[in-house]
Amino acid sequence: MTERLRDIVRRISRPPSNSTRLINYYWQRTRRNKLAIFGLTFIIFLVLLAVVGPFFTLDPTLVDFENKNLPPVGFTIEQSVYNTETDDFITTKVSGTWNHPLGTDSKGRDMLAMLISGARVSMLVGLIATGIAIILGTIIGVLSAYLGGWVDNVLMRLTDIMMTFPFFILLVLIVFIFGPSLVIIVLAIGLTGWTGTARLLRSEALSLRTREFITAAKAMGASDNRVIFRHLIPNVISLIIVIATLAIPGVILAEAALSFIGLGDPTVPSWGIILEAGQNSLRTAWWVAVEPGIMIFLTVLAFNFLGDGLRDAFDPKSNI
Amino acid sequence: MKHMLNHKLLKIRNLKKYYPVTAGLFSRHVGDIKAVDGVTFDISEKEIIGLVGESGCGKSTLGKTIPRLEEPTSGEILYKGTDVAKLDKKGLRELRREIQIIFQDPDASLDPRMTVGDSICEPLIIHNIGDEKKRMERVVELMEQVGLEATQANLYPHEFSGGQKQRIGIARALAMNPKLIIADEPVSALDVSIQAQILNLMMDIQERLGLAYLFIAHDLSVIKHMAHRIAVMYLGKIVELADKRETFDNPLHPYTEALLSAAPSFKSKDKDRILLRGDVPSPLNPPAGCHFHPRCHRVLPICNQQEPELAEISEGHFAACHLYKSL
Repeated sequence: MTERLRDIVRRISRPPSNSTRLINYYWQRTRRNKLAIFGLTFIIFLVLLAVVGPFFTLDPTLVDFENKNLPPVGFTIEQSVYNTETDDFITTKVSGTWNHPLGTDSKGRDMLAMLISGARVSMLVGLIATGIAIILGTIIGVLSAYLGGWVDNVLMRLTDIMMTFPFFILLVLIVFIFGPSLVIIVLAIGLTGWTGTARLLRSEALSLRTREFITAAKAMGASDNRVIFRHLIPNVISLIIVIATLAIPGVILAEAALSFIGLGDPTVPSWGIILEAGQNSLRTAWWVAVEPGIMIFLTVLAFNFLGDGLRDAFDPKSNI
Repeated sequence: MKHMLNHKLLKIRNLKKYYPVTAGLFSRHVGDIKAVDGVTFDISEKEIIGLVGESGCGKSTLGKTIPRLEEPTSGEILYKGTDVAKLDKKGLRELRREIQIIFQDPDASLDPRMTVGDSICEPLIIHNIGDEKKRMERVVELMEQVGLEATQANLYPHEFSGGQKQRIGIARALAMNPKLIIADEPVSALDVSIQAQILNLMMDIQERLGLAYLFIAHDLSVIKHMAHRIAVMYLGKIVELADKRETFDNPLHPYTEALLSAAPSFKSKDKDRILLRGDVPSPLNPPAGCHFHPRCHRVLPICNQQEPELAEISEGHFAACHLYKSL
């Protein structure tokens, strides 16, 4: 081999990590969408908070009746306190303190600490349940499209049956039967939430399957495995990313909704659980319900913005 | 340049590919689309056979049936003496080392998520040839062979022009050192100015590597450039098969005459043109007798009664037409 040939081989055998340029391209396109960047920033902030936050806050389970129902910093409320000596209620003014910047709940637990550990729970539920749903949906959708015939029929009728059940009622039923633990909730959401993904990926894979590069791969002697994993899946990965980003808020909402109707895991303080506890004291301590509500709202919004931005960035036809 | 015609590489005998047509709730079988309907011909080593015919006459299906991308309905495909239709999975993999396809649309035949280097390398990986370094060297060699800069191996298909993409498709087809390349209208999606470059490249490679081509085209002028023999197909059947010179100088079948007269030329005047009336009939319900008779300008009474067989009219010149029966 000549020196020149050797040089070329050396240069092309160290590619700038095969997909770096593609990722860079999509990043440039996503970046132009301000809302998507806001969403991404908020999500990164939330993930950091969920990961390292608990090391800096008070124990979220610490009960302190001396300081119950403290408002957030900057707010003052009137509180009726029962006086045992005079046997009547006296009204006192209570202000928020920096010891509990976001106030405390009816048991005197620190709201900030609870919200941060709630972020951890909601993120875990969101990511793991979405992960299960997306992986299941991808496998079922792609296999259905690629294998066709009776496999396609069986898998798609199964999807139809799953889709005819109202998602939330099915969820409530499963959690009711198997008991409200976090593992059950995550599994239930994951195992019921794959149908839309399966449908979308099936239609995408169906149109890809007839493309000539798939025929070309088969003509080279590629196995089904290789065609599916090296050609089909890489070509739907952008769709998967978008579906996942848009599915996470739904999952977080589903978990919050389950908690809100009393089917959450009572041992872990997710946002939904805090919200549910707060609804009873809305009159005396509005912040207990409002604060997790705002967190859920912002998180869902952030994921939706990011998902929309990614969808536009991955769509070669959109002009951004 | 005359070539050796004795070493047969591929023998196709009475090959048929029918697509069943079904209707109704219970998928009742109502007929067949006879895409390929009893085709017989041979390809010798180092031979270029041009396969021409209008759109929808079954050329591409024939090309895809040879490496069994489509399962043949009946008939034999003998590659070096072994029947392709009877190969098991392992045998089929081996076959697909030796027979490669160049596709019509270079844009669609390359995976958009793979660098062109990876695409060219893929057959080597599939057939487990060499280590990573060896493969990379082969990719460089192939890219230079088809006139591309090897340093472009890390680019993605959308960063190339149509002609360059077809060169990549050719490089990929050459990777396994095939014996036979089925070129399915490899230039019809390209600009005229690029077509000549790609054709020249393919001829150059054929001569250098001693390949056989089955060159499918709907345009005689493309084939005139490179084929040794020409097979003319109409509605799933070969109607004429002869040496290139014979076909152009002495076409026997009226359909071939019509095709030749449709090709632009400086010599012929417009008034001599034979115009084909109508479209190719549906292969689901072809006309009785000779499939070509409703459009034929030299139709005989027998033509709508009896189907003519492909027969050797003069040495090496086959035609399926009642006009030559008495000769």
